[in-house]
Amino acid sequence: MRAQTPALTRGLALAAGLVLALAACSSSGGGGGGSSKNGSAGLTSCNTQGKANTCNSGATKSGGTFTYVLEKNIQQWNLQDTNGNTFENAEALEVVLPQVFVPMPDFTVSLNKDLVTSATQTGTSPQTIVYKINPKAVWNDGTPFSADDFMYYWRTNNGKDCPPPPASDSTQTKGCLPESTAGYDRIKSLTASDGGRTVTVVMAKPYSDWKSLFGGGYPFYPAHVAEKVSGAKAGDAAHMTAAQMTKGWQYFQKNPPTKYATAGPYKMSQWADNDHATYVPDPKWWGATKPSLQRLIFKVISDATQEPTALRNNEVQAIYPQPEVDLVNQVKSIPNVTYNIGNGLQWEHFDLNLHNPVIGKYTALRRAMFTAISIKDIVSKTVGQFDKNVKQLGNHNFVPGQAGYQDLVTPTGQGSGDLAKAKKYLTDAKFTGVGTALKTPDGKAVGPFNCRYTTGNQIRQNECQILQSDLGNLGIKVTIKPIGAADLGTVLTGHQYDIIVFAWVAAPFPTSGAQQNWSTGGGGNYGGYSDKKVDSLVTQAIGQTDPAKAASLLNQADKIMVNAAYVLPLYQKPTFLAVQTRFVNMRNNSTNVGPPYNTAEWGLKK
Amino acid sequence: MLAYTVRRILVSIPVLIASTFIVFLVVINAGDPVANFATSRQPPPSKAAVAAFARHIHADEPAVQRYWNWITGVLHGDWGPSVQPNLDIGHDLFTRFRVTVTLVASAMIIALVLAVIFGVFSAIRQYTAADYTITFFGFLFLAMPVFWFAVLLKQAGIWFNEQTGSQFLGTIGEKSPYLEVDTTWNEFTDHIGHLVLPTITLALVSFASWTRYTRASMLEVLGSDYVRLARAKGLRRRTVLVRHALRTALIPLATVTALDVAIILGGAVITETIFQWHGMGEMLVQSASTVDVYRTMAWLLLSAVVVIGFNLVADLLYAVLDPRIRYD
Repeated sequence: MRAQTPALTRGLALAAGLVLALAACSSSGGGGGGSSKNGSAGLTSCNTQGKANTCNSGATKSGGTFTYVLEKNIQQWNLQDTNGNTFENAEALEVVLPQVFVPMPDFTVSLNKDLVTSATQTGTSPQTIVYKINPKAVWNDGTPFSADDFMYYWRTNNGKDCPPPPASDSTQTKGCLPESTAGYDRIKSLTASDGGRTVTVVMAKPYSDWKSLFGGGYPFYPAHVAEKVSGAKAGDAAHMTAAQMTKGWQYFQKNPPTKYATAGPYKMSQWADNDHATYVPDPKWWGATKPSLQRLIFKVISDATQEPTALRNNEVQAIYPQPEVDLVNQVKSIPNVTYNIGNGLQWEHFDLNLHNPVIGKYTALRRAMFTAISIKDIVSKTVGQFDKNVKQLGNHNFVPGQAGYQDLVTPTGQGSGDLAKAKKYLTDAKFTGVGTALKTPDGKAVGPFNCRYTTGNQIRQNECQILQSDLGNLGIKVTIKPIGAADLGTVLTGHQYDIIVFAWVAAPFPTSGAQQNWSTGGGGNYGGYSDKKVDSLVTQAIGQTDPAKAASLLNQADKIMVNAAYVLPLYQKPTFLAVQTRFVNMRNNSTNVGPPYNTAEWGLKK
Repeated sequence: MLAYTVRRILVSIPVLIASTFIVFLVVINAGDPVANFATSRQPPPSKAAVAAFARHIHADEPAVQRYWNWITGVLHGDWGPSVQPNLDIGHDLFTRFRVTVTLVASAMIIALVLAVIFGVFSAIRQYTAADYTITFFGFLFLAMPVFWFAVLLKQAGIWFNEQTGSQFLGTIGEKSPYLEVDTTWNEFTDHIGHLVLPTITLALVSFASWTRYTRASMLEVLGSDYVRLARAKGLRRRTVLVRHALRTALIPLATVTALDVAIILGGAVITETIFQWHGMGEMLVQSASTVDVYRTMAWLLLSAVVVIGFNLVADLLYAVLDPRIRYD
């Protein structure tokens, strides 16, 4: 045995040395060059007031390949269809397909002057909108962009001319299923003049979000292609039958834009399913800004945690993942990368299930619960760890930066963690056992309630834990119950929760979303909130032609909802864009279109 | 042996049917894709769209009918509808299978070659520094979680690229989306560069266990009478080792390798996710997270066939390699 001891020692020493060498490799790889200071110069100013649309600007030089990450594969290419309405699809298509108004990083919308020289509301009774198409606008097969494209868009999206497939259709392919008919179902007539270069839209009923029509993240598809594949008469979308429109609709579902005429600064030259899209500059592009990149690639990486390593290894040049502490820290250590944590249109919230007999019955209880919750604590223990700018959100329809935003929540004390005030709500309403074991005025136990979050989401688990502690101070017992990754829908629609935390995506056009989330029976109104006054105010807001009045009506509705204490907005979810500093003009557009809203401007820094 | 093989294949059919039925029941009760569809989009889809979706994926049919339609459909080449629009499950399955086979086969070949070399070396140098070192690393690799080692290896790959000023080692996907100079050689090196890290990740765990098998088996054979006799006859050491000892020692390894295919396929799920290979592993993760019943079933069916097939191969290998065993 003695003779073998040195051999053993040598073997272990060698092994230990190799392990240390491997570890050294990993630590030097993760440490980076420490150039985060110079690296973050480009996007850091994006959060400064008024800079969201112009930060990280710079002149570009010709050439270079830029790879941007898509977080999901694209299976269905018709963004206007319910099934194709995904964020990744919007990102990939807006490079090649045009729209009238484009959502911008500051949550405003900008007129796409390459497509239309003007889009004006010329009358309010009836509401009339006139679009003047840019005479240079052309699809890249040479077909001029015309009123026919507007006509095809309207008729396929209004829910009437190309209705949804009937129940008897087992294949469910005989009809159009637009993601939303909002606004299009109010159009009374759409007429062309000036040889198809001017489009006049007259509304049957006013529509406040008229700027969302023919754009707002949902671009045009070429009508002439739909006419050709469906056998319809060229240039006559007005007389296409439902069957013909369905054929066109399905064609755009199944085919990536490599197969048909597009009208963007780039054209998609290749789509490798589940892997990447390759774009090259489109020689037919007529727009003011000519693309300077030699090649633009959208690479599918479905696991966000792998994105920083791909960025570090220069396999991609920009990533747009949901931020987490570790992920942000990893990116900070990558040399020559600039990043921005912005506040997006997604917002986190606690929802109460009003179908629960106790929660639904007592408004005072709901107010007390929301008042006892400390959003400051929640923020500091979750997203505040990597974003110091996150604050309590004070509105259910607007986020800071949007015209119409008013903080209606914090003045009520909801989310303040003010225990004394919360207890007073309860004692005033004759609840007993406040702070120990809460009971309703008629002696029934309050709780235990469950707080549900999607499993694996550490941030939401923490949020439930803080809520559990805060409500415990009122004498309400809360159990934390995770939801399987694929079961959020089941839990929401089946009302299988007492309290739930998840996020909603606000839109640049808030009135349509308000109807879905707050109106009685709305598709997103899972907790069963119902108030006739709110329903009426939201309906009035949708029918307003003056955006300021529409916002005012929504805020009136919001005040009622805040008092009802149904949903407690927590904060805007941070968004995170990281880009190599040798490229410029990428910005954190936290709307439904994402950073690729301006790919024509992207390029190598001069 | 042919009769035995046919008998085994026939026995596998009811096993497949029973197992797929049980798994089918589990999968359709694992979540509600219709509810997910209704809540995962903004704005929420209309009631007509939700009903259409339920009909499209047959969610409105009884479980037994769904299973029967699925299994008879598969026999006719129809793998059923996916919750993902426009996804042809059959095409998806076999495209991904090819990707996974590339990864698994590369990993198995590397692991086998290394396991034999190091296992034999470890056996003939028993209780030396080399033996202890190989043993140490064998247990280290066995103990290491694949996901952790893969991340570590990725960092090492990036470090290698930074040191060499190249982009030889890829951390994402099976190949680069484009090549600056598109030649056959560049394409080949690009494939190899993307294969290195995931293959090492997947190979190491198998390498570790197979090295131990080879070592143990080799030691047993080296101590046997017939090897001693061969040496006594004056045969050269190399001839004794390679012709007489190693051939016998490899019999258990061959069968273990065939049986370990299922474990390697399991490892591929993690490896493919971390290295973003679009193979069977990614398919399983995506199918499970979206409650894609027919896609999950397609994965399970093919995996079951592969595992049953390799179990049969393992049994047959016994007979081929060991003349004492005969199947009648």
